[in-house]
Amino acid sequence: MAFWSRNKNPKGLRIIKTARDEKSINKAVKNGFRAIVLKVEPSLEIRSKFSVIQNKKTGEVETIGDYRTSNNEEFETVIDWTFYYPYSFKSPFAAYLIPKDIKVGERVYVEDLIEDYIGASWNQGDAYRLESCEAIWNGENLEILYDESNNRSNFMG
Amino acid sequence: MKFNPLTKEIYTDKGKFIKQMSCPYRMNWDDLEKSTDGSRKCVTCNHSIIDTEFLSDDELVKMVKQNPETCLKIDLNQTNIKIVTNGFLEQK
Repeated sequence: MAFWSRNKNPKGLRIIKTARDEKSINKAVKNGFRAIVLKVEPSLEIRSKFSVIQNKKTGEVETIGDYRTSNNEEFETVIDWTFYYPYSFKSPFAAYLIPKDIKVGERVYVEDLIEDYIGASWNQGDAYRLESCEAIWNGENLEILYDESNNRSNFMG
Repeated sequence: MKFNPLTKEIYTDKGKFIKQMSCPYRMNWDDLEKSTDGSRKCVTCNHSIIDTEFLSDDELVKMVKQNPETCLKIDLNQTNIKIVTNGFLEQK
């Protein structure tokens, strides 16, 4: 579940929860939900970068993530700029929990997306996951209504 | 100002925690109604969203201290911010 987890969404849509391990999925199924199980597959497009610098005198290290960070002569680079996938999940699969009374064509709000979509990116090459999105239930699956204009460089909250 | 896009935490340049953004909506700044003071109005919550681009750390700390629910906007490309990413964001 996304860390901000709030029981609200922009349009008052029904919220679809995500279970991220076998135990949680089975608990939901016993409570009457249908589980749409998907692999958790990191996208190569989602990436963040870091570099590690070390103080020459004290040996202390500092992680930096922005090319604009100014060089300081007291520090030397010990790990050069490296891109990596910055999210970790406790299980390689997860499931959307579909309520039994959902109607075909119903528009819902998926609180914690399993699939990777780009939610934010910037001109230094980093791209971050979209956490939530609207979707439509087609009777078999959720059709995620990803809009590429969701990929922006700004955050609000 | 420092910002971690993974955790959405905002810090001062000296590393003092200011606020964690917690809005689940994905609003488009360009679509929001402009106010005369430069802020924009959220159509969902009716809150004003403050653009941090021209704020100093001190101004921001003071603003959030007065109202911890203050909504902020940060653009990764704005010049008064450094992006920090450290480690992984673990989904729970």
